[in-house]
Amino acid sequence: MRLFYEIGYLFVRGLKQSMRPTAAIIPSLFMPAFFFIINSAAFAGLTLLPGFGSRSYLVFYAPVAILMAIFFSSGDAGIDMVVDITSGYFDKLMIAPIHHIAIVIGKLLAVGLRASVQTSIVIAIVLLSGGTLVTGFAGFLVILALGCLFGMAWSAIGMSIALLTRNQRATQSSFILFFPFTFITTSQLPLHLLHGWYRVAVQLNPATYILEALRALTNSGWKWDVIGHGFLVALATGIVTISCVMFSFRRTYP
Amino acid sequence: MANCIVEVQDLVKRYGENIAVDNISFSVSEGDFFGFLGPNGAGKTTTMRILATLLRKTSGSVRIDGFDVDRQANEVRRAIGFAMQDTSLDNLASGYENLQLLGVLYGLSPREARNRAKELIELVGLSKVGGHWVNSYSGGMRRRLDLAGTLMHHPKLLFLDEPTQGLDPQARRMIWDYLRRLNLEGSTVFLTTHYMDEADTLCRDLAFIDRGKIVRQGTPEQLKSEMGGDVISLTFGQNVEMQNVEGKLRTTIGDLGSMTVNDHLIRITSPHAKELVPHLIQDLNAIQSAPLSLSISQASLEDVFVKLVGRSILDDEAQLIKGRDPFVEGRR
Repeated sequence: MRLFYEIGYLFVRGLKQSMRPTAAIIPSLFMPAFFFIINSAAFAGLTLLPGFGSRSYLVFYAPVAILMAIFFSSGDAGIDMVVDITSGYFDKLMIAPIHHIAIVIGKLLAVGLRASVQTSIVIAIVLLSGGTLVTGFAGFLVILALGCLFGMAWSAIGMSIALLTRNQRATQSSFILFFPFTFITTSQLPLHLLHGWYRVAVQLNPATYILEALRALTNSGWKWDVIGHGFLVALATGIVTISCVMFSFRRTYP
Repeated sequence: MANCIVEVQDLVKRYGENIAVDNISFSVSEGDFFGFLGPNGAGKTTTMRILATLLRKTSGSVRIDGFDVDRQANEVRRAIGFAMQDTSLDNLASGYENLQLLGVLYGLSPREARNRAKELIELVGLSKVGGHWVNSYSGGMRRRLDLAGTLMHHPKLLFLDEPTQGLDPQARRMIWDYLRRLNLEGSTVFLTTHYMDEADTLCRDLAFIDRGKIVRQGTPEQLKSEMGGDVISLTFGQNVEMQNVEGKLRTTIGDLGSMTVNDHLIRITSPHAKELVPHLIQDLNAIQSAPLSLSISQASLEDVFVKLVGRSILDDEAQLIKGRDPFVEGRR
């Protein structure tokens, strides 16, 4: 019971930490909106390709903006953690008579909630720009759940690097992972139009399955197999990355 | 006799080949104001982090308030408060928020934590800024808030790692007054510092640590009385040939005192300091090496340290500033 209290307090603290100052959230909302507006206009002609399958590139590209919102909202978790470590605040938490696991779980839950909140803001931007959400409010809630789950999984990468290196620059450099994980996917074209090694790389990228689940929920409808794959991949990624956090935690603070 | 709240026996901490803490033993009585003194890199912070359960020891035994630091870490944590060398606060939270979170993590109810935070914020004189984010606080305000944080759960033992480092004299004095009051109210204080005047002013018991080893323990008065007299300090200009000066002064002093040389500063400890001074000046004039300054003072803890280890804490500071670690240098 005490563990849940500790998680609750550290969750609230983690949430405040990731939302302060408010101005710092703007870039993580601006970037998905920027890519969405620019790319959906720049590549509008791709819909003329034989077999593309979508009449509006904006509608096709909208889930990429949602995926980016998840990436950007959860990418700061490692930075938050390394700031705590280098400032000594993490040590302060470590000498409190609490379950140490609560420090990590509280932070992960805060990241998950922030990912859901930012995802919902980007969905609003998408809808206002002419995007679709064919699964309605229920689909919206499923997207938030997927965003929360994958956000936690993604944030664990930065947190692991923070714990292992205890270095701000090294942790910040994990940002570059965003590019391959976002763009070596079906973000620009549907899978059946991709060829060679690139197609293989796209199929190996877990983010592809999250993106396809988001695309189903926004554009196609309740494709349970695609949505299910998205959740399974998010869960599997989370198991791997959160295990890495736990390992890093034990290694750094034996 | 008071109970021991800190009991350290044969403590060793190694980092690979490097021995940071080398088989030290000491104890601290309940209610004491204990100073752990030494230069940077001597092993003070490492020892304190082991005592506070933040670092695992290589070998030895450490008990805090009767609890083993490895096997009963949470019991130890409930008994202690730890203010680290650099203030460790959540910069993007207010003073109140910082304290309240610590309170609930240490087992207070949210209401108790709120009340205790309010009480402590008033006590450390931060009422006006308690609701502001900590990143707007000055160094002294941060230190006071950090100290308040360590007191949220009424700890029996306070670990303070260089609590006044980097503070201006006024802020230092304010912290000193506050620490004295805490100690008078019953808290045991375990302080590390490399400021000898701070230790002399605050501590009732001391241990000197150098290169991982405890070189002497005792009360400030005991340690200073062991110096066996007053201290004559002579400072010479850079153009003075110190070998000649040292040789001449050793002849002058004979067996009437002891002498240490640190660069262009010479300290002579003697029970006949006042009588020696005219002879020293006369002999130095004879070799045309008059000092830039000469003073006589009662022995300080800095003098005790110099006598014990043969160099000044300030020398180590200077070496660190130049980028050389005196600990590693000493091992080469």
